Amino acid sequence: MISLPYSRNKRYLTGVDWIVHVLNYMTIKETGAGFMSQIVIEVSGNVNPPEIENALNSFINKHAVVNGYFSRDINLAPYWKIPPVKKLKITLDTVILKEDDSFDAVLKNLEIGINTLFKNKREHIAFHVLTGCGRSYIAMTFDHLLFDARNAEAFLSMFQKEWESGEASGGMAITEPAHLSMWMDKFKAGQRVNRAFIKIAGKASPRVLPLPLGKKVFRFRVLSFGGKETEAIAENAFNKAGYLMLMPYALAASVCALHGIFKGRGISSGDYVIPVSIDTRKQEEVRGDLFFNHVSFFIFKAEASAASDFQALLKSIKEQMYAQVRSDLPGDICKATFLMRIAPASLLGSLLKLYFKGEIASFCFSYVGKTAYASPSFMGNKITNIFHMPRTPVPPGIGIFFQQSNEKLNVILSYLDGMLSKDEEEIILTSLKSRLGVE
Amino acid sequence: MVKESHKVIEESLIREVAAILSKDPGLIEPEMPLHEMGVDSLGFVELLVVIEKKFKIKLMESGLTRNDFRTIRSLSEKIGALG
Repeated sequence: MISLPYSRNKRYLTGVDWIVHVLNYMTIKETGAGFMSQIVIEVSGNVNPPEIENALNSFINKHAVVNGYFSRDINLAPYWKIPPVKKLKITLDTVILKEDDSFDAVLKNLEIGINTLFKNKREHIAFHVLTGCGRSYIAMTFDHLLFDARNAEAFLSMFQKEWESGEASGGMAITEPAHLSMWMDKFKAGQRVNRAFIKIAGKASPRVLPLPLGKKVFRFRVLSFGGKETEAIAENAFNKAGYLMLMPYALAASVCALHGIFKGRGISSGDYVIPVSIDTRKQEEVRGDLFFNHVSFFIFKAEASAASDFQALLKSIKEQMYAQVRSDLPGDICKATFLMRIAPASLLGSLLKLYFKGEIASFCFSYVGKTAYASPSFMGNKITNIFHMPRTPVPPGIGIFFQQSNEKLNVILSYLDGMLSKDEEEIILTSLKSRLGVE
Repeated sequence: MVKESHKVIEESLIREVAAILSKDPGLIEPEMPLHEMGVDSLGFVELLVVIEKKFKIKLMESGLTRNDFRTIRSLSEKIGALG
């Protein structure tokens, strides 16, 4: 076993972190901007942007890791270089909302933030504040190289906690070993992942929507369900899919919704392949390690011939989920991806496409339960909702994401501009509402 | 005798749910609905896999009706009845 010294200026990347770097590379290649996401905190009342900016600057200056960048060690292990703490200044744009600005107009403004490139390789966070007429939106655009979705929530939660108490949360050890041992264990996990992927991939490439030419920005639609509707959705899921089977129910609803679009366009080859990201930590553990990616994946296959039969689809998704938990596919992916860190992102991007005959997936999906943002307010303003606007990796360039903020369930459709028409967007949202039982 | 057997199953499930939620087993209430404790789809499937490995009972295909699966107590009774 090789033991390497930890360094306060160096955090080794895990295999999953490296896969995120690969997805970032692929997305930049296709769209010019990377694999970023945006967390939006919606509050009642107007906010004071300079006050927010000052508070955020003071908080972020305690976390030099947000100013880091990728590098490779002498042993080729990729790591995140954490520079010495220096005076950082965050980017914060402000938009003043007018009385008649609809939520669609707000969303268009938020789209500008998530589609704006970071200034340089050291910038991984930017803020956008929309405020006026008694409502405000505080959006943090973040690089997935630095945070997964839950960590981004937890990071802002820590900011809020410090703001409320006036006390610093204390130093945070950001360490990760190089993981240059237990190779046999990793190779065996790699074999199992390889077999599982080959089985899922089958002979034909997955059913995909063509990527648009020349379009480089992402579009979003957000469905927010109130407390009673969210309860009704859970009730429907429990009745139709079984107790606590919300995730399979939401995924089956998403497959059905997109199946209508593929059918309408006459795209009939291949089945649906859907990677589903899952958090590998428990809620309690999120606060301990706020940075980088602590996720893994399920990979589901939905046969197109069964995609119109909701009950058959549900049954198949539940069986696959059970089998993948039983065989610990997500755990094997975490172990196996350590082996891939040696491959440059460009090469690994091409290798990932080999499994699925030149494609990656039909669409991306996730279901994030309870939010990691703990406070009911943000800098004194009552929170009315928290939702995410993730840029889906390209390919596939389209994703449906479910995420819960206290009693509210949000469904976010994210797609590369030009992939869907306005009518198709509406068809997807209408179908989702109908399948979830909240028309 | 039957009651004792349920008790053993229940204690075993409490330990498993505590491990899934990263909580102290002492904080797990057997009559509290699992979703109120914070168990989600993934955690629930993890629990079903543990049950299959431990008690040789595959429950995923059973329809997962709420009355049988809602609490650790009802789940223990279901396992006891099937075992």
